[in-house]
Amino acid sequence: MADKLWFLIPEIWLFVGVVVVSVMGLSRRKMFRDLLPLVVCVFLVGAFIITPLLYSEQRISAAGLLMPMLGKYVKMLVCAIGVILTMLSVGLIDRDLEASMSAGRTRFDPIRVNRGEYFSFFMLSIIGVMLVCNANDLIWLFLALELTSLPTYIMVAISRPSRKAQEAAVKYFFLGAMSAAMFLYGFALLYGATGEIELTKLRDVFAAQAAAGGLNRVAIVGLILTVMGISFKMAVVPMHFYAADVYEGAASPVTAFLAFVPKTAGAVALILILSTVGWSGHYGNGAHGLPREILTALWIMAVLTMTLGNIGALLQRSAKRMLAYSSIAHSGYILIGLIAGPPHGLNAVLFYLLAYGVMNTAAFAVLASFERKGEEIESLADLAGLRHRYPVMAVAMALAAGSLIGFPPLLGFAGKLYLFIAGVDAGHIALIVIAGVNSAISAFYYLWLVGLPILAQSTPQSETVVARPVVWPRVAAIVTAIGVVILPLFAQSLLKASQAVTVERETTALDVTVAPDQPEQPTSP
Amino acid sequence: MSMLMLAVDLDAYIPIGLLVVMAIVFAAANLLMSHVMGPRREGPIKGSTYESGMDPIGSARKRFNVRFYILAMTFLVFDVEIIFLYPWAVTFAKLAPQSDEAALFLGRIMFFIATSIIAYVYAWRKGVFRWD
Repeated sequence: MADKLWFLIPEIWLFVGVVVVSVMGLSRRKMFRDLLPLVVCVFLVGAFIITPLLYSEQRISAAGLLMPMLGKYVKMLVCAIGVILTMLSVGLIDRDLEASMSAGRTRFDPIRVNRGEYFSFFMLSIIGVMLVCNANDLIWLFLALELTSLPTYIMVAISRPSRKAQEAAVKYFFLGAMSAAMFLYGFALLYGATGEIELTKLRDVFAAQAAAGGLNRVAIVGLILTVMGISFKMAVVPMHFYAADVYEGAASPVTAFLAFVPKTAGAVALILILSTVGWSGHYGNGAHGLPREILTALWIMAVLTMTLGNIGALLQRSAKRMLAYSSIAHSGYILIGLIAGPPHGLNAVLFYLLAYGVMNTAAFAVLASFERKGEEIESLADLAGLRHRYPVMAVAMALAAGSLIGFPPLLGFAGKLYLFIAGVDAGHIALIVIAGVNSAISAFYYLWLVGLPILAQSTPQSETVVARPVVWPRVAAIVTAIGVVILPLFAQSLLKASQAVTVERETTALDVTVAPDQPEQPTSP
Repeated sequence: MSMLMLAVDLDAYIPIGLLVVMAIVFAAANLLMSHVMGPRREGPIKGSTYESGMDPIGSARKRFNVRFYILAMTFLVFDVEIIFLYPWAVTFAKLAPQSDEAALFLGRIMFFIATSIIAYVYAWRKGVFRWD
């Protein structure tokens, strides 16, 4: 146990940050309240620097985690994207209240300011994702997933002073609670079927059951419920219903957060859960060891997610709803990597999470940079002719959208390429063909995002759109847009970083192949 | 084989099943016995709501100030803290005095208490105890 605590130092550090931020947010001095995003960034950068220092060979082998190296990659990724997301949130919360307090119309009242709470929840949600990586039993996994989600419900509600945001938060909360109940029920069945809650022991029991003729039926039901419940976090069909409404209702910076942080948590949790049943070929039926039922379920979910996501996006006239559906479609692409399995599939998933995090945040950052009379812009028409007045932002939007299509040589292309290669390697040709067709469909609506800002003429409506007074969302958009162009050059080394995760897993997978040869393993309590 | 495993697994639920049956029987038997054997004296005072000895005034279906809710949340902070302090105290007494382990234990609980104190300060600053 104590060996595992070493890996929690970044989380504890961030938790200290949560405490500092929540108290600082109640300061009477405006200067302290305005410093909050900077403090969040300092803590995130600190966690980013601490994380790689903790992963020594000795601690990794002592920790007894299912995939010990997963944490290093994912934590660093989440902290890095977290800094960008913090930039987006500058000046978002309490905007009107702060303005009226500066003008002396309102007195400072601690109960009415929300900025400290917003950034606290922001960091708590990030801590949740980091804890998911360290999960070594089902209870920990459940708590970590909920820690990721619960703060986001409140973030949606306080993100902007409109009824839409509150409606979105309530929808998100109830559907989120349902999904939590679903995968908790799945976990209970997994425990019932194996008598274990530790992931490494679950894996051994499943290996023994598979060697003895197939997984327990109860375990299969549990796995399917778990996968369905967790897929809510990733907005995978059939658990995608909330995405469009919630993403539209929340303010753009929070939407960018929702599209990345819970999705990463879901993907990591699925990697862990699927690792217990294993992809390695010793389960009989075919080259892919995922139980046939799970494989079929994932396959259908991937196809539906890609197709419904892209077709849904085609029909939208609101840029935010369009990006919401596009994020559903991208979850479908991520599922391809999960179906393909280690090593290439999982590497591709982890790399794609990075690519998706950068390019999707770039697109939302551009939306978050503009407003009309203090209201954020939503419709596509607002972007028309952006290049006349804000050429840099227009180019940033075009790059982000081009990367989301998967246009070479941008970052999204590298991400999709690795995913598709992994899929073909694993023999899922039909799935890759469907994914290819979907990429073509997606080009149609993403090209609106390229064409409107760059090629179209301004309209009287789009002339009224102005940049937000704070500069940081624009900085974030520029940084991520540069990332979309520059990062493909480092794609090889980034992929290598993600490969470290599965290298470790292959050594642990060896124990699984050995397990059936050992004398008589107990299969049930 | 898998059917067999299912059967084996359901065996493990027999204790739970027994527990459920016992709970139902116990509750039903108690209700039945007090209904059959208990003395019965009824009247308007006997039928009134029990409020810890006070005479009930007015209806219970009225609105309470939302502050009670926030106050209850603040109470929870300390409630949870005590839940963790008990096992800590029992274990701490068994550790060797002045040892490194004891120092580590003390440090951890101090960190924990510090976080709940900060939660208290936060609530105070937020105006939870202001009763204007």
